Parts: sequence; structure tokens; C-alpha cells
Amino acid sequence: MAGLDATRVTVGQELPPLERGPITKDDLKAYAAASGDPNPIHIDEEFAKNAGYKGSFAHGMLSMGYLGEFLVHAGGVGSVRRFKTRFAKLTWPGEVITCRGVVTGIRDDGTHRIVECDIWTENQEGERKLIGNAVLALPRGA
Amino acid sequence: MPSKDMIGRELSSGSAVITAEHVAAFARALGDDNPLYTDEAAARRGPFGAIVAPPTYPIAFMVEAMSGGMETFLELGLDFMTLVHGEQEFEYARPLRAGETLTLTGRIGDVYEKSGSSGVLDFVVLETEARDADGKTVFFSRNTLISRRT
Repeated sequence: MAGLDATRVTVGQELPPLERGPITKDDLKAYAAASGDPNPIHIDEEFAKNAGYKGSFAHGMLSMGYLGEFLVHAGGVGSVRRFKTRFAKLTWPGEVITCRGVVTGIRDDGTHRIVECDIWTENQEGERKLIGNAVLALPRGA
Repeated sequence: MPSKDMIGRELSSGSAVITAEHVAAFARALGDDNPLYTDEAAARRGPFGAIVAPPTYPIAFMVEAMSGGMETFLELGLDFMTLVHGEQEFEYARPLRAGETLTLTGRIGDVYEKSGSSGVLDFVVLETEARDADGKTVFFSRNTLISRRT
């Protein structure tokens, strides 16, 4: 089921993309409730406008959640050792978000192949929103 | 405003109980239907023997468990009206399991400022370490918060 094969993974290989969205305002309400995020900027249009934005925007952690699912598809549950993102641009309701990544390094630690990747989310126009990197540990035993 | 004197300051510690219900609700809010997060029977047969949490799940309890949400932001000198999450980093030893209780300790890892076209931005890095009942580290989080100085 995992997207990356420990014995065949190569530097430059792309991780299988994951598409989510279009993101709806209901998605943001559901994420705010489940994550306990107290910031009204994601669910209250007026609050967001008063704070100087064109409207409510998605939680950065919602998109990071999509990236988490994307990494688990690539390496399996429990494979993610390190996971970092910068919230470079805001994600808006109505956008379709695709998680993408590419392998940048591979090494062995005895029991696992350690795979380093650059990862990001982008909208339907290819504009990158979250930008980061991750380390996956793939069991070497077949 | 945040000051460099705060670097290294310990934040109040806390604990978090990981429940299957909350993990499943969080996974559903992400649209993630992995049965290891949501299906008790499937998870029991799986490699971890219990429901486990998606990688970003710690965000759902970290701030609350540490010190009561918004008060922390005020204590740090951040302006809640302009507060944004700038960066997030996690290191994991293993997935979080439903039924376990984690002990959290937090500290201020860094404080710095940057000047840009919109004025001065204050950056505060919160570091949180979570340990299990055996005292082993389960995850480490580095959370960079940014607010605009007004």
C-alpha cells in the first residue's frame, strides 16, 4: 500500500501526489472544532476583514494535515520521523490543494532506509502554499 | 512585545489523554479515512494494536494542555489580532496511541524580530516535548508564532 519501495527508492523520485478540496467553509468549521483552534480568523468573515484580510482563510495546520496524510500514503503509518513546514502563503476557501514531494536524499540506519524529501502544497494554479521537508523511515525487510 | 529575555523560559507543563474518539474526530475533519485512526477493530489487528493518531494530531491538544490557550499568547506579548502560525516542525519517535497519557513540557526556544514592508514582525518559537508513562520521548514540536507589532 505504501507509495515508496525501500529497495527501489531513488533521489529525484516524486512521491504520489494527494489532492484535496475545493476547500469549503464547512471544512474550516469542522477543522476548527476538531482541533480546538480558538482563532476566529478562520471561521468569522467579519473578524478576518477587520484584521485586514479579504476574508477567512484556511488553518495552516489543515493543509499540514493533508501533507501528513500524503506522507503516510508514501511511507506507511509510523514512518514519519521528522516533518516541517513553513506557512508561506495563505490557503483560501474554493482552492484545490495538491500535496507534492520529491526525494532529496537516501541513507541507511541499519534497519531502515531513511528517505529525505522536499514537500509542499500547491493550488490549482501551481502556487506553493506550504513549503517544507520530511524524513521517512522505511523498513528494509521486504 | 516579546523580548529576548524570554528565551529558555519554561512554560507551564501539562498532560494530555489520547482518546480514540478525539483522534477519529480529528482524522475525519482532515478527510483522512485511514482505518488505523478511526476503526477500533481494524486498529487492534494492525501493527500498533490500538488506534493511532495522524502526524499533526498533537496540535489539537498542545496549546490547551500546556497552559490554557489564549492566556499563553498574552503572556508571550503576542498580539492575538495579528497572530499567525509561521512554521511548524515535528519529530516523532513513534505514533501516538489511543489510551495513553502524555506529559508535556514547554519552553521558549527563540525570540526574534524581522522588519518588513508591513512593519515589525515578532517571532516566538515554542518548543514542546511529550513523554509517555515510561518517560520516553514520543514527539517534539517546534511551533513558530508571528505577530505584527502595532
